[in-house]
Amino acid sequence: MTINSLVETDFPEEFIEEMGKTDDALPKKIDANPENVEKGLAKLVLTLIELIRKLLEKQAMRRVETGSLSEEEIERVGETLLKLENKMKELKQIFGLKDEELNLNLGPLGDLM
Amino acid sequence: MTLYTYGIIDSSDQIKESIYGPEGSGVYNIPYCDIGVVVAELNEPVQNVSKSSVLAHEEVIERLMEHFTILPVKFHTVFDGRNSILSMMQSYYKHFKDNLNRLRDKVEFGIKVIWPADKIKKSIRNSRKKGEHEMPIPDGSLNKNFVRKKLEKYKINEEFEQKAYKFINVMDIFFSKFAAEKVLKKLKTENLLLDAAYLIDKDRQADFKKAFEHIKNAHTGFKFLFSGPWPPYNFVICRRKVSYLKIPNKKICLIK
Repeated sequence: MTINSLVETDFPEEFIEEMGKTDDALPKKIDANPENVEKGLAKLVLTLIELIRKLLEKQAMRRVETGSLSEEEIERVGETLLKLENKMKELKQIFGLKDEELNLNLGPLGDLM
Repeated sequence: MTLYTYGIIDSSDQIKESIYGPEGSGVYNIPYCDIGVVVAELNEPVQNVSKSSVLAHEEVIERLMEHFTILPVKFHTVFDGRNSILSMMQSYYKHFKDNLNRLRDKVEFGIKVIWPADKIKKSIRNSRKKGEHEMPIPDGSLNKNFVRKKLEKYKINEEFEQKAYKFINVMDIFFSKFAAEKVLKKLKTENLLLDAAYLIDKDRQADFKKAFEHIKNAHTGFKFLFSGPWPPYNFVICRRKVSYLKIPNKKICLIK
């Protein structure tokens, strides 16, 4: 077998590891059965909630950074974000999901998060 | 009969070289107007992907690249017969033709860069700890402290991304001098700073390699991977099916 294309690197293991992390979040084959259907649905829903939570958090941080929130508003933002984060932790635990599992591969658009 | 497909080439002529497919049958060209689809016949269903099947596929593509411009199709693409292939060609002929013209005499190179993300984050954290950056929220309640922590994390991430884009920009400006087109994926993971594909004219391959060596030597502490020349996997643009006329038993050539 003659392959002329070259792959040159002094660090093959590191690249294999990093590329492994970027593999499709969606499996190549659908392994659907009554036991995992609930978890699959939870994963999808929690991914979307997590996306919204992160967007909210970013927006809040931008506003805090620019100083456009009063002390009272910062207090309320903190309370909301803290409660949201704790609720997400709880739900992830219930469905046995890890942070890195909450993502969707959108094909050519890349990962959702 | 199943047809295992390698790609679309800019010729309707038969392949003169002896090239063999997955089951040892000859690789041949199914012509359509002035282009063609390179296939091999399969009797057995497609087996699972293995390292040797990937290498064998790549070898065929590389041999075709020596003589033709090729639009590689996805690995393990199969059709259920000649008619399916002709129907697909009828639908996409113009797209294929445009791609073949655009990609003629060009090859793809891949560059991946890992940067010391941990060290960079640490240095950002340290410089912020030195008190140069004032936080707009005073210490206070649990909720306020939570926001304070979040804001600090947000600012570190922002600075981290800015640094990353700065490095990517420096590298990309240099590589782009030699490239006809590029596809950049930035910070796919915290460590994987850049995952890029560059489309290079065949006669500029050596210059591009030199540019890569220059950038590599200028960035100690970064890890580089260089690969190619590949067929233009990342540069084939195929939009949705175009409308076409369908006349039974007749090939329709949309080229004008």
